[in-house]
Amino acid sequence: MTDSTRILDAYESETPARDAAGDEPRAAGGGGGPSAREPLVVAGLYVASILGALVVSAILVVVATDGSARDVFTALLDGSLRSPGAWGLTLTTAAPLLLVACGSIVSTRAGLINIGQEGQVLIGSCFAAYVAVRLGTPGWSVVVLSLLAGAVGGGAWAGVAAGLRRWRRVPEVLTTLLLTFISFPLITYGLSQSWLLADRNTERRNQLNTGEQLPSDALLPDLRVFGNDIDTGFFIALGLTLALAWMIARTVLGVRIGMLGLNPRAAQRFGVSSERLTTWALIGAGATAGAAGGVLLTGGAAGDRLVFGFAGNFGWDGLLIALLARNRLLVAIPMAFVFAMLRTGSSFLAATGVNRTMTDVVQALLVLALLVPPAILFVRDRRRSLRAAAEDGV
Amino acid sequence: MNEQAPAAVSVRGLTKTYGATVACDRVDLDLRRGEIHGVLGENGAGKSTLMKVLIGLVQPDAGVIEIRGRAERIHEPSRADELGIGMVHQHFSLVDELRVWENVVLGDKRRLDRTAARELVGSIGERYGLRVDADARVGDLTAGLRQRVEIIKCLRRDPDIVIFDEPTSVLTPQESEQLFDVLRVAVEREGKAVALVSHKLGEVRRATDVVSILRRGKLVESGATADFDARSLARAMVGRDVSLRGEASALGAVEEAEAVAHHAPLGGEHAPPDSVATEVVHALAVRNLVVERRGHRVLDHVDLTVAPGEIVGVAGVEGNGQVELADVLASLVEVDDGSVEVDGVAVPTGVAGAMGRAGVGQIPEDRHDAGCVLDMSVAENLVLSEFGVGQGLRRVDRSAMRARATELIDRYEIHCSGPDAPFRSLSGGNQQRVVLARELSADPTVLIAAQPTRGLDVGAIEFMEGQLADAAASGIGVLLISSELEELLHLSHRIVVMHAGRIVGEMDHADADIERIGLLMAGVDVDASPVAEGVGAGAGDAS
Amino acid sequence: MDFFHALGDIFSAEALYISTFQLGVLFAFAAGGEWVAERAGTLNISVEGMLLAGAFGAVVGNHLVANSAAGLLVGALFGLAVGALQANLSHRLTANEFVVGLALNVLVLGLTAFLMTSFDIGGARASTWTILLLSEIPLVGEALFARPWPGYLVYSLVPLLWLLVYRTRWGLEVRAVGEDPQAADVSGIHVNARRRQAVYLVGLTSGIGGAFFVLGQVGSFQSGMINGRGFIVLAAVIFGGWTLRGTMTGCALFGLVEALTIATSVQGYRIDPFILDAAPYAVALAVVLLFAARVRQPRALAVPFVRGLT
Repeated sequence: MTDSTRILDAYESETPARDAAGDEPRAAGGGGGPSAREPLVVAGLYVASILGALVVSAILVVVATDGSARDVFTALLDGSLRSPGAWGLTLTTAAPLLLVACGSIVSTRAGLINIGQEGQVLIGSCFAAYVAVRLGTPGWSVVVLSLLAGAVGGGAWAGVAAGLRRWRRVPEVLTTLLLTFISFPLITYGLSQSWLLADRNTERRNQLNTGEQLPSDALLPDLRVFGNDIDTGFFIALGLTLALAWMIARTVLGVRIGMLGLNPRAAQRFGVSSERLTTWALIGAGATAGAAGGVLLTGGAAGDRLVFGFAGNFGWDGLLIALLARNRLLVAIPMAFVFAMLRTGSSFLAATGVNRTMTDVVQALLVLALLVPPAILFVRDRRRSLRAAAEDGV
Repeated sequence: MNEQAPAAVSVRGLTKTYGATVACDRVDLDLRRGEIHGVLGENGAGKSTLMKVLIGLVQPDAGVIEIRGRAERIHEPSRADELGIGMVHQHFSLVDELRVWENVVLGDKRRLDRTAARELVGSIGERYGLRVDADARVGDLTAGLRQRVEIIKCLRRDPDIVIFDEPTSVLTPQESEQLFDVLRVAVEREGKAVALVSHKLGEVRRATDVVSILRRGKLVESGATADFDARSLARAMVGRDVSLRGEASALGAVEEAEAVAHHAPLGGEHAPPDSVATEVVHALAVRNLVVERRGHRVLDHVDLTVAPGEIVGVAGVEGNGQVELADVLASLVEVDDGSVEVDGVAVPTGVAGAMGRAGVGQIPEDRHDAGCVLDMSVAENLVLSEFGVGQGLRRVDRSAMRARATELIDRYEIHCSGPDAPFRSLSGGNQQRVVLARELSADPTVLIAAQPTRGLDVGAIEFMEGQLADAAASGIGVLLISSELEELLHLSHRIVVMHAGRIVGEMDHADADIERIGLLMAGVDVDASPVAEGVGAGAGDAS
Repeated sequence: MDFFHALGDIFSAEALYISTFQLGVLFAFAAGGEWVAERAGTLNISVEGMLLAGAFGAVVGNHLVANSAAGLLVGALFGLAVGALQANLSHRLTANEFVVGLALNVLVLGLTAFLMTSFDIGGARASTWTILLLSEIPLVGEALFARPWPGYLVYSLVPLLWLLVYRTRWGLEVRAVGEDPQAADVSGIHVNARRRQAVYLVGLTSGIGGAFFVLGQVGSFQSGMINGRGFIVLAAVIFGGWTLRGTMTGCALFGLVEALTIATSVQGYRIDPFILDAAPYAVALAVVLLFAARVRQPRALAVPFVRGLT
């Protein structure tokens, strides 16, 4: 199951590339096991391409600004790890990213292409905000209900796409994307209506589409470790990711999800209902994204109230993490941490005189860099297995 | 043969190895203008590698290729084009959504000219007797017509040398005859050199002038086809004497299979209880099955029964509803009308896993389609159906799974590095054994075998056929869907013929007759019209 | 009655049609290219980044040569550069096209914002060409015939794309590659090369679209100026059911919707902008929903092809 040729996503392995004139379509692959040098080759490729991305970033800093590249990287590290309380903040920031990623990974494994996480996060945070601000249930129940509401909201939003896929056979790759862009004005609307999310106190004076401040009960408690405040949300995300990893690797449900992604027709034949399970996988992915919205709101990683532009690309980044982790849940954990580092680190950039948009550039370059080694390995393995297939189809 | 003129293609000492496997071992081959040259061999004999070298898909390790007397290196397919070598592929090179003329000129380099392209389709059709509507969407055409488009596509550049790769697998016997007429026109009127690559010795005897037989990468015999009889061809191909009775079907020798048709079928010692079939509970009863797709009936009121212990063969040209029938019985398709009963109990269609749970095993036509999960292990593939039942949140018992897999690997002689080997790494024959092992070990009431021997070599075919016969002998009802008539005649107690989604004929093994089945396959109403007219009607129907 | 009155007011304003045209041009260039890329099998979500790169290129080119034609050219080249990255990463190295697209969008957004703060490149505007008489047509005359000069390019874009896709060999191959890459491959077509070229095309046209947005509409570069319009482009292709005519209709419609947002607020009508903002996507969603059975996407859309890699 952890074969290195087990490519990125289910939809890639779904399309058997036929050897043009072979007797056997794709008869045998993976000629020859990995050699002892293999891990070194892989590690070397990764190191080289990540270094490449950092060098390009450094050159950009030097050429385009007066700043020094060294200062920039120092600032990024200070902001994300070294300054007091920094790594706690980084972990807190990683929580919603990881939540989005873990749901996406499960749905991708089930053969879905969900690219609407940003909208699912937003809708989730709206539901969470509504519950937190308007229901006013007592004590800690607010925050629990608020997170649940987030999950329900995100799940419902993804559920629209799931329903359209199931009953109208509309590809979810289109609907999830479109729904994301419908969610933006929807939030704006919610924020402009005092009966929904708009701040009742400042409504008259302020048209800035600001949500109401959360009551302190509705905030997730922090855990203080070595002088760092780590949001409970992080532990929720970590726990969920580990639980899902266990589910995928060890349970029958995990095998079913894998079957669906790898060969939906075989799954159907052997009793795994593609319709039902993919529907739930998509709704589940939406629910974790929605919960991420809830954690984002109640965990304080994005302020204490819902505002326009609130989700701040957490959804897109979570999707990127999922895809970059190549749908392995355990890989998503460090990946989410790195993305969070760039986010928290960017706040220290101002001191260096370099615009904080630089972190976007660094992040994008890192993403592209992380794409290259597996792609090279894939092309190589592909060539090998083509050779092996030709051998088989003598 | 005229030894003066250089051969159109002359191959000397061609060798190609893949790792330890020698695909072609010092093979010599001469294709001459005006000759149909049969290249006969089992799967894996090296014929396909040899042809891939000729059209530039594979580079040889050693050897000389001379085209019209000049040594050439065919480093890529476009070079083969320039040299006038064309190949008719089996089915992969047409795009359904494009029109016939667009498909015919797909891959050319010249400017796109619709009028010229349509004229080209017409004129080639005229010359070779391959009529087809240039403006039709390829996706709307029948398998036979699609092959015409493939042939026209290949002939459009007027190649001197044309290679046909297993061309008859999608054709009725009558359509195959028409195809051989086309080949005849190509060599006699147009002076081309034609290579007919095949594993069916009957058709090689029927259609070729010269034959070369390959076995395990070596050229074992070559000579005028007339100098061989079926027995000597078979011996050359397999490397030992074969009892034509037992293996004729594997080798595709129609006459020989027909000659044995009046013996009991392989499953035969155990007579199917067809005389008491009305009283017995059918292993499988399909009633009035209707499946529509895009407003068009792909299964049209199909009625079919299989008694316990009976092998029922389903004959028919590919694409006449067999795939849909198999899909219904694999729970992949929901029917629009009709019912399926297994062992007397109605089974809902289109419900995930329902057929399997009711006792329907299936060896699917394309095992990579719904027969396995390539990226799972052998052990997992051996127990796929168990994943579909029960609570999802229970642990997978890996050790039990492995133990069971080890036992099945042993019993079915599956060659693999162990239960954890990736299924993908197995050879085609061994993958098929995994499928067979899983399906038979589930103790099915009825077994659907769709084209179960396709792409396998003779040894694997014998094994598969033996297993099917044994399954029937043990009381399992077997529905054998095949486009290889020889195989059907060899194995079945009863044969039904499908055409255009309907069952158009049914006969007991004793009454089976190739000619009649062929006409039925072509959609000719045999009982209504005399045979001679029937052929004409069949031809008209196909064009 | 008030409602109809308001409607009359809004639709009788020339400004509405001018905005529609301006936005329609942006959409049409990008969607035209995107349509070709999708016909070849790529769901190219970096069109957002391509547009932004084109807009940035317009000010750079104008800054360097002080000429709006240079702006348009550099814009096109910047768009092409994004296309080159997308194409080669996803159709040469077989990286997932969505990851590449998302990363490129972030990269272009970050890079342009970053570079903008580092260099002062100023604004850029193309001159307006007014066609005599035709521009006098009431209501739509100015919208169609008194435009910044690059806007007129859109009149040649549509027939050119049609000819390219339906009447040239390249177009035939693009369609084959998007429907059945395996068959195309066997027929001797270099599948991934065609796909790359189609992505280059969308890079080029989106670059022009983005450049036009600066040169013909805004007059300067702002970091968030494309603001998700690249995704409206995707919606337009979906709306059009992967036909050129439908896609262009979608562009005009979505241009009109956005123009309405501007027009209503200018005239002081309070239509909730959220309805208009959501409209393009909601309409596209409704179209795929209603015509799901009839509208057929290219069969190999977003399905990578991996065999004859180069």
